[in-house]
Order: sequence, then structure tokens, then C-alpha cells
Amino acid sequence: MPGESTSHVVGSPRRLAAILAADIAGYSRLMGFDEEGTLARMKRHRRELIEPTIHEHFGRVIKTTGDGFLAMFDSPLEAVRCAIVIQQSMAARNTSLPPEQWIRYRIGVNLGDVIVDPDDIYGDGVNIAARLENMADPGGVFISGGVYEQIKNKLVCGYQSLGDEKLKNITDPVRIYRVLPDPTAVSGASRARAKWNWTAAGFVGLMAVAGTGWYAFLTQQPTGSPEAALSPPVSVPAQAGAAQSQQNAALEASANPAGLPPPPPPLSGELPIAIPEASLAPAAPSSNAQIAAVPPPQPLSKPADFGTSFRDCQHCPELVRLAGGSFRMGSNEDPSETPVHSVRVRPFALGRYPVTVGEWNQCVAANGCPSPLDGDSMAPARNLSWADAQQYVVWLSKSTGQDYRLPTEAEWEYAARAGSSGRYWWGDKVLPKMANCKGCGEPYDSHQPALVGTFPANPLGLHDLAGGVAQWVADCWHPNYQGAPTDGSAWTEASCRERVLRGGSWRNDASYARSASRAYYDSGVRYPAHGFRVARSL
Amino acid sequence: MHARVRQSAIATAFAASFCCSLWSAQAQTPAPADASLYIIYPSDGQRIRGSFPVRFGLRNMGVTHAGDRTPNTGHHHLLIDVNEALEPDEPIPTDKQHIHFGAGQTETRLDLPPGKHTLQLVLGDADHKPFSPVLISKKITVTVLPPRVRRSSQALRAEREKRIQRSGSVRP
Repeated sequence: MPGESTSHVVGSPRRLAAILAADIAGYSRLMGFDEEGTLARMKRHRRELIEPTIHEHFGRVIKTTGDGFLAMFDSPLEAVRCAIVIQQSMAARNTSLPPEQWIRYRIGVNLGDVIVDPDDIYGDGVNIAARLENMADPGGVFISGGVYEQIKNKLVCGYQSLGDEKLKNITDPVRIYRVLPDPTAVSGASRARAKWNWTAAGFVGLMAVAGTGWYAFLTQQPTGSPEAALSPPVSVPAQAGAAQSQQNAALEASANPAGLPPPPPPLSGELPIAIPEASLAPAAPSSNAQIAAVPPPQPLSKPADFGTSFRDCQHCPELVRLAGGSFRMGSNEDPSETPVHSVRVRPFALGRYPVTVGEWNQCVAANGCPSPLDGDSMAPARNLSWADAQQYVVWLSKSTGQDYRLPTEAEWEYAARAGSSGRYWWGDKVLPKMANCKGCGEPYDSHQPALVGTFPANPLGLHDLAGGVAQWVADCWHPNYQGAPTDGSAWTEASCRERVLRGGSWRNDASYARSASRAYYDSGVRYPAHGFRVARSL
Repeated sequence: MHARVRQSAIATAFAASFCCSLWSAQAQTPAPADASLYIIYPSDGQRIRGSFPVRFGLRNMGVTHAGDRTPNTGHHHLLIDVNEALEPDEPIPTDKQHIHFGAGQTETRLDLPPGKHTLQLVLGDADHKPFSPVLISKKITVTVLPPRVRRSSQALRAEREKRIQRSGSVRP
């Protein structure tokens, strides 16, 4: 049995260890396709790549199974590094083969207290690693929250939180993260380059080129990544053989200066190291996705998991993923809403409700926002200026590492219409129990808005887009849509005194609760009927 | 069912006004007795064509931004075609007929449809509520004239020629 080890002191059967579990995705299919070839390649990979890599990261192989292996590390950081190196090296090896012959591992890493036998390990910690491996995408690495906590500030790569998952036969839910290595560093990575400082090559190089810090890089990432994902595939014939030997790989590395990212792999649609779209989320009941650093690329065409909701942290506003699309913005009912024009919005996420008093006070408690608010924690936060709302989204972005912002006016109306073209999302007439506005029926309290979610959600699952609190959007006020952008972006100038409010408030009559209704107010001035909801780029 | 809804609405309205009358005394910000609010321009009864400026005047008090609680200061609100009385203890509404000047502005520009319109200023405190005694200007009426139909000189000439031609053809 390869890599069996007795180095561990017998007699202390329990210890804390990072457990790495891996198996080959679609092993049976591969074997059916080419039994001998697959087996030969798998054995060679083990001999040339997996065992040495584990050894280099101070780990040891506990056992091998038919298509996988179990390894144990003293350090979770080394375990994850090892996992990434294996995945990247495998990706490099696969580039020379047709996709149906790719051997792609799924890897799970967990930190746990395990029972160590000379030739096996047991315990929850091992089972969790195995479950993580099962959930991982081919070519991907999933880690548990415990591992993440240990490495988050030490290993420069992206971690996408997939929320707490109840794993089969494991008592407590486990927080799961997907590791996102730099996509551009995928195909060029070989063991020679990737061993220890694999991040330094493409990733840090990119940062240096950008001339910005890590944080600045992150903030640029969300808008940049979709394009990166959609970049046309570049064929790299020279690379085919290069990955097979260390020597060639070293040559290739030297020919490929550190500052320049290596060429993307062929067939960008099927990246060998999958930097996958959140494919897990729709199936998961608690689809609670968060990206702690680099967000995964979200190709525009992918329907992904639109309509599902998530939170980036326990007290963060709940967001609904919205597919982009075209719609007719405006109406002929008021001059400010003309001309009616077509607008295309990109996919984005929008708060299911306006930001609540409870959510606002979290920001106050963290010294991110001014003036605590009184009232029910589920009441919409109000008496806020545009500048206040802006402070909240800045704080939320900083504390989650995500690109939070106010929705653009176009995004807001797109969400409010939810595919409708009438005055309200439910039709042209005011109906009872649909909106929180004056003369719109019970429940109504002239002194305060209803709690969020009191009124029904529109077809997109969004509440309180008609009445309640009027909601700030990113745009500067323009008296009509003459010259308005049609790409869903915010229409702003360097310094504008007035910003747009949408949805009307509970103090306004039903005509202000129309989907197309617009209002404005001084951006630095608070008013008791003004609140906001957050948007996040996807 | 419809009647019941209306009934309960009336009941709430009644309860609301009751609670407000209890509260109003302490909730309102006092204003000096000699303070006065007025519209500098336009004057009452003025006939105006197109968009026009409105200038706000305030005597014996200071103009500040909303949220500022300095005594004897407030900010302007312009009421356009408003007939309902303001609720003394409620923030002045904000809509197309109640324009707020919370940044401390002292003038604005209006573009109103042709016809008669009323304009009135109300001073609000830090929370956009009227002062006590309420500081409100005289309600003035302005008449906005329809825009003059502007024709180019070329069109005018063409029209004149057409008229001459027509009259010419009639004459013989």
C-alpha cells in the first residue's frame, strides 16, 4: 500500500488533524471508456504527482481507495495548498487530453479531532472530509468552516461560502467553503511552479500590475470577472507536452514571466479546474452563498440560480438573485417618467426587503453608520438620507468583502415591475392588502410604515416595492428620462445635490406607489419616510 | 366589507388625531412671535409665461438645513396647489405638491402647467414639522400662461404668401 505510515506515535490515538479526502469524478465512466489507460494514468499521477505533493506539504497518505485517497496533515494550510497544487497540476496534465479522458479529482478538506490507527483514521472529522469531497465539483476543492478559519488570512485565494449544510449522518451542520484558485493561473500551473508559491506567479503578479493593494483588487474583481470568464479560449499547443515533465514546465515558466498570467486553457467552457458557477446552491435548501474573496465568474447566459436568496452574513440583508433582462422603463402618466424607453439590466442581487431597523443598528454597533434607530427591529429603517444609506452599503461591503451598493434606478424599476408593464406589479388598479400607502386599505397606520414583509411579495419574491418607505437609489435626479442610460447603470454626475427615491412612502397616496413613480430629495437630508434597500453585483 | 374597512379607517383617523392633540404641545418647536415667512417673488396675482423662479423670504429667524436643532432656525417647504391643512405634529409631507428645501435653499425654479396655481411657504423644524406658532406665508396665486407658439420667420413668410395667394385667387 503506497504511503502507509507508522511515523505516528502509537499510544496517543486521538489527535487534531487536517484530513484531505479525494476521489476521481466519473471514475466508472473513465474506466468504461478506457480501463487500462485510465488505470495506468491514475497510477502515474499518484506516483508522480499526488504522493510527492502530499509529502512536500508535510502530509501523509493514510490509505488509497479504488479511485481516491485519504491524507492527513498537521497543518490545514498545508492541506489546502496541497489540494490546490494537485488540482492545478491535474488540470495541466488534462490539457493534453480530450475532455472525455480527463481525470478530475474532487477534494474535501476538514479539520477535526480524529482517531489515528497505524494504517487508517476514523471519526467524524474523516467522515466530514469525505462528505465535502462528495459535494465538491470535479476539479474543485471544498473546505469546512474550521479549515477556512485557519487559513483565510494566510492563503491568498478566493473562498466562496456555501452556507451551513446538514451533512448525512453528521449531527451539526457544517459550514462549507469552495476554494477558488486564481482562474488565470490554472493551465500553466505545474508542480515546478506551483509547489509553494503558486499564488505568487499569476495572482500577485496581476496585483502588482494593477498597482493596487489586495483590497482594491477585490473591489475591482466583481465587474471584471464575468468578462474574464467569457474570454475566448486560446489554444496552447506548446503546452501539451510541457506539462508532462518538470523540466519542460520550468522552461515554460521561465518563458512566461511572472507578471503575465499564463494563457487560459482550451475549452474555457470546461475549465479543468472548475471555477464553477454556484451550481450547488439551487439544490441546497439553505442556499446561503457567500464569497469571501474573489467571486466566481458568473457568465451572463447562465440561468444559474436566479430567484433563490442568500445572505452574506448572519445579520446581512437577505438578497434575491435576479436574472438580468430588458424591460420598458417609465410611463406616460407623469412627465418625469417619460420617455418610456427600453433598458437592459445585468444580473444582480437585490434586498428582499428594505433594510430593517435591526440591520441598520448592526451597522451602528460596528461604528459603520451614524445614529441608532428606534422601533421594531423588523420595521424598515427610515429617517435616513442618501448619504446615510451610502454609509451602510460601504460598511456592508467592507465587512463582507462584497460589492454592495444602492440599486440603480433602472434596477429598482426592473425589480418592482417583475415583468409587468402596468401601474403596479399586480395590475393597474389599487387592490386592498397589496401596498402600504395612503388610501390603499388596511393595515395602515398613518404614523409609521408596516413592518417589512407585511404585504405580499411580487413575482420575483421581493417585498415592499410599493409604498412603505420611499427608497433611495444610486441615481442623481433628472427631471425626465431624456438622455438616460439604457444599460441599467446609474445616471450620475460628479456632484449632484438631489438623488432619486422610488416606490413612494406610506404617507403618499397610491399614485406614488406605482412602479414607474419617481421622486427626489436632497441627498444629505433625512426624512422620516425615506429608507433604502441594498443591491449587490453578482 | 367595504363599509367596514372605511369605518375602521375612520376610527384610526380619529384615534390618530386624538393622540396628536395630546402630543402637539410638547412636540412642536417654538418660533419667535415676530418671525414671518413670505414669498419675495412672484407676487400675488402675477401672470407668468414658462418656468419661473420662486424666492423665499424669512424675517427674524434663520435658515438652516434639516436636522439642525439650533433655536430659531428652520428650513423652507413650498406648497403648490395644496388645499388641505397641515397636521401640526406630523412632518410636512413630501410629494409633488410639497417641495422640501432641507439643504437650506432660499429659492427654486418651477415649471408648472398653464393655469392658475397657488404657492405657499411653510417653515419646518429639524424634523420637518411646522413650528408653533406655525410659520406659514400668505398663499399667493399665480397664473401660468400657455407657451407662446413660436414660428420661424420662414414659416411666417410662407403663411403670409399663402394668404396673399388665396386672396389673389379669390379676387379675379
